[in-house]
Amino acid sequence: MSDFTADNGPAKAAGKSSLFTQTARTKRRNAAETRFKVYGIGAIALGLFFLVALLFSIITNGIPAFKQTFVTIPVELTEAKLDKNGNRDPADLAKVTTFGYKPLVTNALVAALKEQGIEIPFAKEKDVEDILSSSVAAQVRDTVLANPDLIGQTVDFRLLASSRVDGYFKGRVTRDSLARDKNLDAEHLDVADAMVKAGLMKTSFNPAFIFGSDASESRPEQAGIGVSMVGSFFMMMVVLVLSLPIGVAASIYLEEFAPQNKWTDLIEVNISNLAAVPSIVFGILGLAVFIQFAHLPMSAPLVGGLVLTLMTLPTIIISTRASLKAVPPSIRDAALGVGASKMQSVFHHVLPLAMPGILTGTIIGLAQALGETAPLLLIGMVGFIASNMPDGIAAGFLSPNSAMPAQIYEWAKRADPAYYERAWGGIIILLLFLMTMNIIAVILRRRFERRW
Amino acid sequence: MNDMRIVRKDVDMNDTKISAKGVQVFYGDTHAIKDVDVEILDKTVTAFIGPSGCGKSTFLRCLNRMNDTIDICRVEGNILLDGEDIYDKRVDPVQLRAKVGMVFQRPNPFPKSIYDNIAYGPRIHGLAKNKADLDEIVEKALRRGAIWDEVKDRLDAPGTGLSGGQQQRLCIARAVATEPEVLLMDEPCSALDPIATLQVEELIDELRENFSVVIVTHSMQQAARVSQKTAFFHLGNLVEYGDTEQIFTNPKDERTESYITGRIG
Amino acid sequence: MPVLWLFILVLALGLIGFVLGRARALKDAQGDIRLLHSLPSYYGSNVLLATLIPGFAVLVLWLIVQPMVIHGQVAGMIPERGLTDYGSLNLAMSDVRRVADGLDIAVEQGALSAEQARDIRTEFTDIRGRLGEVGVALGSNVQPYVLQAAQTYRTMNATGHWLMTGAVLAAAIAGFAVAFLRTGKDLRARNSVERVILMLLLSAASIAILTTVGIVLSLIFNTIEFFKLYPATDFFFGTTWAPSFGGGSELGILPLFWGTFYVSLIALVVAVPIGLFAAVYLSEYAGPKVRAIAKPLLEVLAGIPTIVYGLFALLTVGPLLMSVFGDGGLGWMQGGRSVMTAGLVMGVMLIPFVSSLSDDIINAVPQAMRDGSLGLGATKSETVKQVVLPAALPGIVGAILLAASRAIGETMIVVLGAGAAAKLNMNPFEAMTTVTTRIVSQLTGDADFSSPEALVAFALGMTLFVITLGLNIVALVIVRKYREQYD
Repeated sequence: MSDFTADNGPAKAAGKSSLFTQTARTKRRNAAETRFKVYGIGAIALGLFFLVALLFSIITNGIPAFKQTFVTIPVELTEAKLDKNGNRDPADLAKVTTFGYKPLVTNALVAALKEQGIEIPFAKEKDVEDILSSSVAAQVRDTVLANPDLIGQTVDFRLLASSRVDGYFKGRVTRDSLARDKNLDAEHLDVADAMVKAGLMKTSFNPAFIFGSDASESRPEQAGIGVSMVGSFFMMMVVLVLSLPIGVAASIYLEEFAPQNKWTDLIEVNISNLAAVPSIVFGILGLAVFIQFAHLPMSAPLVGGLVLTLMTLPTIIISTRASLKAVPPSIRDAALGVGASKMQSVFHHVLPLAMPGILTGTIIGLAQALGETAPLLLIGMVGFIASNMPDGIAAGFLSPNSAMPAQIYEWAKRADPAYYERAWGGIIILLLFLMTMNIIAVILRRRFERRW
Repeated sequence: MNDMRIVRKDVDMNDTKISAKGVQVFYGDTHAIKDVDVEILDKTVTAFIGPSGCGKSTFLRCLNRMNDTIDICRVEGNILLDGEDIYDKRVDPVQLRAKVGMVFQRPNPFPKSIYDNIAYGPRIHGLAKNKADLDEIVEKALRRGAIWDEVKDRLDAPGTGLSGGQQQRLCIARAVATEPEVLLMDEPCSALDPIATLQVEELIDELRENFSVVIVTHSMQQAARVSQKTAFFHLGNLVEYGDTEQIFTNPKDERTESYITGRIG
Repeated sequence: MPVLWLFILVLALGLIGFVLGRARALKDAQGDIRLLHSLPSYYGSNVLLATLIPGFAVLVLWLIVQPMVIHGQVAGMIPERGLTDYGSLNLAMSDVRRVADGLDIAVEQGALSAEQARDIRTEFTDIRGRLGEVGVALGSNVQPYVLQAAQTYRTMNATGHWLMTGAVLAAAIAGFAVAFLRTGKDLRARNSVERVILMLLLSAASIAILTTVGIVLSLIFNTIEFFKLYPATDFFFGTTWAPSFGGGSELGILPLFWGTFYVSLIALVVAVPIGLFAAVYLSEYAGPKVRAIAKPLLEVLAGIPTIVYGLFALLTVGPLLMSVFGDGGLGWMQGGRSVMTAGLVMGVMLIPFVSSLSDDIINAVPQAMRDGSLGLGATKSETVKQVVLPAALPGIVGAILLAASRAIGETMIVVLGAGAAAKLNMNPFEAMTTVTTRIVSQLTGDADFSSPEALVAFALGMTLFVITLGLNIVALVIVRKYREQYD
């Protein structure tokens, strides 16, 4: 408000001027107007720029996680080593540990390299095995135990390359960065290059990342998000089964039946406050009530689901009430007018009409719950906790498991670029789920939206 | 209040202030104003009457380009203010609105003090050289708005705290504070009680000495009481325009007569 | 009888009640449903509800009360000498539970007969080894008193279960009988069914209150426990945060407060201007097309999980800031994790939060205000700055408070982006830590609620809850007052 200085003369003079010429003051004011508008556009552009930057870094960093470098070589499964008695007794076979398999694989690799005429630049030929993941012996062993008839044959195996070799082909590892790395030498990379040329090594799509389980900290090439995806799935089942009926019942009460009294006020205030309580506080609640007090199992998707239910209920109640409110009173009056009870008018007429809106709100609530991490860490649903798929539905709810965001957090914590790649890849999968849910919500809204 | 007494006041041979020719207004596909020609005189109160939805408010909003704020609205034809086309590309609506002020249907004081409400226009247009100058402008505007005596002791009180009639007079004072040449009033009394209405009507009559006033009203009695010229709109057409006395005593068009006698609208 | 079977039994009883109740009402009216007060299915539902509700109520109550009673009894059996403090009682109790559960599993799998399990003695049997065979791993050899307690635990559990089965079935059958006998054509079945449904709806709505009570109780009890072990003044006014699980920790909250405040401040400095300008542009300038595209796109930012922002801070923004302010550039920054990293990213997360709340609030300012200003010849920006924003100010302040509460309670971004060092430092490029980060680090892992180092998390949670609750209430009151002003 410092516009007292009117340098273009007093009002009367300006008043008689032509409309067709802009006064200096108007020009200044219009410039300010333009500037203001530019700030607005700039703010929106900045917001959208952040969105693009975020998506860009997710996609460029995450896509490589879906590909993995594999080595395909024939491995001779020598009977003398794997089954000394030759009777294929499962108990005897199980006694041969991965240490028994390791030399077979290493020898196979050396033999394959020699056959292709690739020089092995190490004093000890055995050192070339660092090209392979340390999980390969276990992989071969599992195959043999599943199918003992293979013993004695020479079988083609598709084996994981070690994470550093994999990183080399994805550009994450360079020869310079290997100088400080005791796990792999530059010579290994020469061999790897030659193997690619000879067709022994290939980078291809890796379904194990989507369906597999987390691996130990030293084998990022083996880690997958599948098991925690199952954990998330069971949690979402709990959230859906509990929060939809409870949320709808609570909303119906508050919107249709609640009398104007202190109790109703208290409920309303509580709901709007709970919607803004930090999620980590719900984690503390879950830890203290469900685990410390009720002795429910730690790390169980059931507990995670209960915590997330309490967290999403306010969101679902708020959106459900909005869709109930959108049903015009005339519908209720019409039902009451033909002699239906209040309860019948709500359940027969109002609720079905509000259902698309309620489902939309529920899906959005679920999406929010699916991406939530902090409360899960407190009730023990951390990464590494489950290495196998749960066997059966009860185990799915009760045995320790993780969830997708918690798994991503675990990978992010491991301070290894190979795991960072997994974390970004996990985010792509998580966002695909969220996107699908939101698209379903939008379609529901578009398809069934009613204007009264 | 509802007498049909017609105020006989001399309409001097005033100059034409606004001249509209062939004005058409479209809201999207709706043809809201159809080919309206009208000449509005200086220092005269002109009333636009007609049934609701007839386009009288729409036409009024064309006169200071308030319709620009509505995206789907399109105006054709010429509207000249002192011979200059206000829809010319060179015209800045901001400058135009400083010359053609407006008072709205519902009193809309800003959530600021009474003083700041009045000073708002002069400040943005840079009409005051210093604080004393601004004080003078505010006092003058409040006096012209016939509200000075009621608020002079509480200029710092919020404008929203006044009664409905006071708020509307405050809004009129706010509009005259920028020294406009034309004052447009869109049903200024429709939200007011009869006593407040009377005060505002008296005020309008006084304002005629300095401004050209155009008032939209749905009350024929009000049109008869305050105006010298009357235009009757019906379904987007300007049906009849003439001296108020003539319109109300001897209408030429039978639609005007039907409306005035209460058969339509 | 397992709980699941009991559940199914009561459910079946209820369904039978439905069929019988409906049939009885129809019979009473000689098959003419016009003579009935309510529709036939209401008579059935009446019996169904009268069976299920007492049955399930007893079941749930029993399941909650029984473990508490047994816990109290068994805890009394553990000799004082085995205990040093509160925590070791917990440990001993969990040992007891493991042994008892292990014996049950062994019986179930046939490794032990029921009699063997009952008579087992630590003197004669290697219990640890036997249980290990059925997959129950024990940390140490079983003490005689633990086994004794475990046996009591088992017998009490077993009797408890039988008593529960009896009580649940009795309650269900009693409800069934009363409702069935009362069924007749004049019974106001619909009214009583609807009354019950209304009660169910009310209890669903009351879960919100239960949740709040649960939060408050779970925070308060553990916080009190913490203050027994660690003085409250040291906690609230201590300037050092140095927990060590070996003991002798210093647990002052001030450095955590400072970190939280600093990160939130930076986040708001980023989010408020951008969000506000975006909201103003969207509501006052943008055409419907721009609005229809830009608004949902901005809101995508709000739908992205915080873990994604955390990773973005750690792996994209941190290194980016390092390249400018780090050793290679200005040299202000030691590592990628810093207050600035977390604050910037959190600011991005809050942009849509601020913009959509402000957008609503700006849209609630009546159009008449804008017309009044434009009619006087003000430009749009003058109208916005001098009329619309002042009118919307209370609502915008409320929105900013809500955003601040969001920032203070945000966890994943600071866990990954802000670092772990508790410092009272002015340099925004230093790593600092926050209240939420410390809650995560103190409570992740084993749930041992005996040391001050773990319990402090509850005190931190309590502080966090009180602060955010206060901000939310103030914000909601302001926003509500503001809405009323223009409604």
